[in-house]
Amino acid sequence: MDDLNQNPKLGAADRPNSYIGRSVPRERAKKLLEGKGKYVDDILLPRMAHLSYVRSPFAHAKIKSINIENAKKYPGVLNVFTIDDIEKVCTPWQGVLGHLGEMRSPTQYPLAKDIVRWQGEPVAVVVANKRAVAEDASELVEIDYEDLDAQLDMETAMDKSTKVIHDDLENNLFWTRTVNQGNVSEAFKQSHIVEEVTLDFARHTGVTLETRAIVADWDSSEEKMTVYHNGQAPHMMQSIIAKHLNLSEGLVRIISCDVGGSFGIKVHVYPDEMVTVAVSKLLKRPVKFVADRLESYSTDIHSRCHKILGKIGVDDKGKILAFEIDDLSGIGPFSVYPRTSAIETNQVLNLSAASYVVPNYKAKGTVVFQNKTPMCQYRAVGHPIAVAITEALVDKAANALDMDRYEFRKINLIPDNSYPTKTPSGVPLEDLSHEACIEKLKKMMNISELEKYKKESLANGKYKGFSIINMVEVTNPSPAFYGVGGAPISSQDGASIRLEGSGAVHISTSITEQGQGTEAVMQQIAADQLGVKIDTVRVTHGDTDATPYGGGTWASRGAGIGGEAVLKASRKLKENILNIAAVIMQSEVNNLDVQNDQVIRKDGGEVISLKDLAQIVYYRGHELPPGTNAELIATASFSIEGIPFVFTNSAMGCLVDVDVDTGLTKIEKFWAVEDCGTQINPKLVEEQIRGGVVQGIGGALYEECIYDEMGNLTNGNMADYLVPMAYEMPDIIVDHVTTNSGRSILGAKGAGEAGTGGAPGAIMNAINDALIPLNTQVTSQPITPEKVLKALGKI
Amino acid sequence: MKSPAFSYYQAKDLADAINVKKTDDDAVILAGGQSLLPTLNMRLSNPSVLIDIGNISELKEIKVDDSNLIMGAMCSHSQIMNNKEVNEKLPILNKILSQVAHPAVRNKGTHGGSIAYGDPAAELPAFAVLVNAEIILSGSDGERIVSAKEFYKGLFETAINSDEILTSVKYPINRNGMKLFFDEVTRRHGDYAMAGLVGSIKQNNKINEEINLVFFGTGDRPNEAPKTCEYLLKNEYNYSDIKNTLKNDIDFASDISSSSDMKAHLSAILVGRMMKELN
Ligand SMILES: Cc1cc2nc3c(=O)[nH]c(=O)nc-3n(C[C@H](O)[C@H](O)[C@H](O)COP(=O)(O)OP(=O)(O)OC[C@H]3O[C@@H](n4cnc5c(N)ncnc54)[C@H](O)[C@@H]3O)c2cc1C
Repeated sequence: MDDLNQNPKLGAADRPNSYIGRSVPRERAKKLLEGKGKYVDDILLPRMAHLSYVRSPFAHAKIKSINIENAKKYPGVLNVFTIDDIEKVCTPWQGVLGHLGEMRSPTQYPLAKDIVRWQGEPVAVVVANKRAVAEDASELVEIDYEDLDAQLDMETAMDKSTKVIHDDLENNLFWTRTVNQGNVSEAFKQSHIVEEVTLDFARHTGVTLETRAIVADWDSSEEKMTVYHNGQAPHMMQSIIAKHLNLSEGLVRIISCDVGGSFGIKVHVYPDEMVTVAVSKLLKRPVKFVADRLESYSTDIHSRCHKILGKIGVDDKGKILAFEIDDLSGIGPFSVYPRTSAIETNQVLNLSAASYVVPNYKAKGTVVFQNKTPMCQYRAVGHPIAVAITEALVDKAANALDMDRYEFRKINLIPDNSYPTKTPSGVPLEDLSHEACIEKLKKMMNISELEKYKKESLANGKYKGFSIINMVEVTNPSPAFYGVGGAPISSQDGASIRLEGSGAVHISTSITEQGQGTEAVMQQIAADQLGVKIDTVRVTHGDTDATPYGGGTWASRGAGIGGEAVLKASRKLKENILNIAAVIMQSEVNNLDVQNDQVIRKDGGEVISLKDLAQIVYYRGHELPPGTNAELIATASFSIEGIPFVFTNSAMGCLVDVDVDTGLTKIEKFWAVEDCGTQINPKLVEEQIRGGVVQGIGGALYEECIYDEMGNLTNGNMADYLVPMAYEMPDIIVDHVTTNSGRSILGAKGAGEAGTGGAPGAIMNAINDALIPLNTQVTSQPITPEKVLKALGKI
Repeated sequence: MKSPAFSYYQAKDLADAINVKKTDDDAVILAGGQSLLPTLNMRLSNPSVLIDIGNISELKEIKVDDSNLIMGAMCSHSQIMNNKEVNEKLPILNKILSQVAHPAVRNKGTHGGSIAYGDPAAELPAFAVLVNAEIILSGSDGERIVSAKEFYKGLFETAINSDEILTSVKYPINRNGMKLFFDEVTRRHGDYAMAGLVGSIKQNNKINEEINLVFFGTGDRPNEAPKTCEYLLKNEYNYSDIKNTLKNDIDFASDISSSSDMKAHLSAILVGRMMKELN
């Protein structure tokens, strides 16, 4: 399966320099493994000061007074600021978008103003010569708070008696949406079987290896703001910083160095980061803020706090007639700027039941405020909830009809020959392959063997269960995702490619790298399409002064959108090179090609190296006839048109062992079949799937932000917040089906989020399969041993 | 997450370390730093000076004779796991230590640090209590020995006086016919346990003569369970009885990892596993 280019639009797989479709080793991996990566915290600038934030210890309180005098006097402290100072240079924001109906989120200030609304909200900032000194002085900032009732539970958010978090709103509702296709109530009446389940998902967060970090350097002489930021979307940050600090956008430069993981955590606007930029402006010197792990837990966005009720109606043959969900989500006190905190729920409504033919579909989403850390988009936004509710109901229906779970899916999946079509919620779908994926999965898993293994284990008092699930993943969004709603988020990406005097090829791309191998992928596409060796290509990314404009890396869009831009630019450059070579070599263009860094004649004979060609153009241009178009640079851009998203699909399965004495679940094996269209580098695709699955295992079994009844996060550290580690990882077996996207030449879709989106549902279904003989089920994630034992009535 | 300022002192020998400790109430011993340094970075304590005892070679020795195994305080967990004699004479230690954190932590973390710190969820203190190890302390008044059963006083509270350093731990070995048991329940490998058990059984003609149980991760210190041991000498294992008896023995305290009910349940399960394995 490895190393195969299955896209005829790209040329024959056996031509020289055909890198697309091959697991070319990533050059950058060596640098990172040797510890030579350069991260924001590695940036040292002359006169750079360090920030420490004084954060609210309360979930909800009035700020009666702030006394910064003692902190200011502490040796080494340069200054201490509160909102009164920051407000003068940084305007507040509102996390609302215009295209998804009414969103009601109030103005959010960069530091808390009058009221704190979550434990961890920044209230004051201490600037000192060292971070440790800033932390010392932070303890000397005296803040007098008056405790207010905290609204923590999303289920009581809309009760009359509940404290309203924002005085200017009449209740705690942020956003709501209903989707209604067909007539579900009629269809439920006609159903042979109706099954229901309510699932809950605990808040968790992204836990990036490298925490959020920013260095801002205001140069008042040029009025230029340079920001080193480990984010995912440099141009978005450029626009937002310019807007809120009232700077000329062209004079804001965002540089993203190496980034140690992002998972969507680093694509949002954080108050402490905006304040860092503001402090640099106020003090006219570079300042650094690096979130520590404790701050990360209480201030990085959380996600997935959902309670969802689902209902499925099927006829006596097992055909799904109706599907209904009612989802509730609590997002903290503010909708996060600028993407808003409505998107997760919106995805749940769009994506539930999305793999199946469902004639009647109804979905309702309600998003409410709470006094907890703000929630927003994290890897596989909404997918884990949509997949888990869908697949839980599908299993329930199949079991109720005593039908094989695979057979049930087969008769309900959207057939591979029926595209273009729409999801039950009405979102356009094309180029998917559910049937092919589940067929392949079934073979990989060897389901009859699994059934046997299950039976034999049961005879020995061991409870094993397995699952099969289907899903779609949203990738490569068009402007319909954010831009249309008014956010400064580009859906287009650009690439520029040039041949240099040395014969080296240099690409710059607006896509960014967070460790997933963006650079490698762009290198492969350029080398492949241009006809040069992989080592010939260099890549620049993550610098708004040096790259084309674009959206950056999120929503599994890097390869599909940014890669297509590189492909188009490479083809243009090749055309220019061949035209110039035709003049130099006195040949027909059609008789020439570029291979292995040389222009060759297809019929054999004399060649010219790209280096010689470049040197003629750059150094001895007089050798070319006057008027020759001798541009050795080309630029292109790409964005998805005509469809809101390029969906991908996958089928996954897992085998678990549930220890009914301890409640511990062990995942014995995990399988995934993914269709992401053209795989540029199969190994990178597979590692995306595997890494995604591991993050999904985290959500399903381990990860949870635990709050006490006062609204304090009680496990915000790596000892108590459990992420899955190597020991807990099962073998994850990955295979592929390839249906190229018709929206581009490259044909690549995305692959970054499927694992995270699918694994939680797959794991929950497998556990519930294991529990069938015991007549119980689990419905709440993370599925802790304690929850399993409670379901079993043992504690 | 930067620790408050402190000074650092590298002790030349034991006397030197004791001397510094004696003159400064806010001085703290630094062993492997695996528990101490995180608490400093979280600003949970504010010591004046860290006295590094890592260069005192006598504290790094492992001595074995026919009836005892003496572990110097500064022996790292890894050093012990790799010691052939320990593995022969007291193999259960290797089994226990393989569940203590991960290799990187075990390379730094020390035996003395673990015993002295006395985390109620830690494995080694419970084992020391099970075999009633002798804990050897040195202070300005010389050396004294405290039995492990007397050593743990409360949550992170031990019998060590402020001018004392734990220098070694002496474990009895070759206790005729005593069979040892260790198991724990963790959600992830290497985590502190939700509940763990070290136990021993002495049999005569397949009849249990003596049973000892010490639980960890269950209360404010290693928890012995005398009533349960007594029950087991007279009765067959029975889950509900054991759980009830354990509740009489131990005031199960919930923590972030699990509720008290869960801990009682897991403890009863662990006893069942022990009786099955050792009988
Ligand atoms: C990620 C992680 C996971 C862990 N998991 C486990 C686990 O599962 N089980 C477990 O048992 N432990 C675990 N630990 C703790 C580890 O075993 C520690 O090494 C041990 O508890 C303390 O030993 P240390 O040498 O690091 O002591 P330090 O951190 O240096 O000291 C700890 C305390 O003991 C005092 N102290 C140390 N030595 C002496 C002495 N000789 N005399 C007097 N006082 C002394 C110090 O002053 C300090 O107060 C874990 C640690 C980490 C970081």
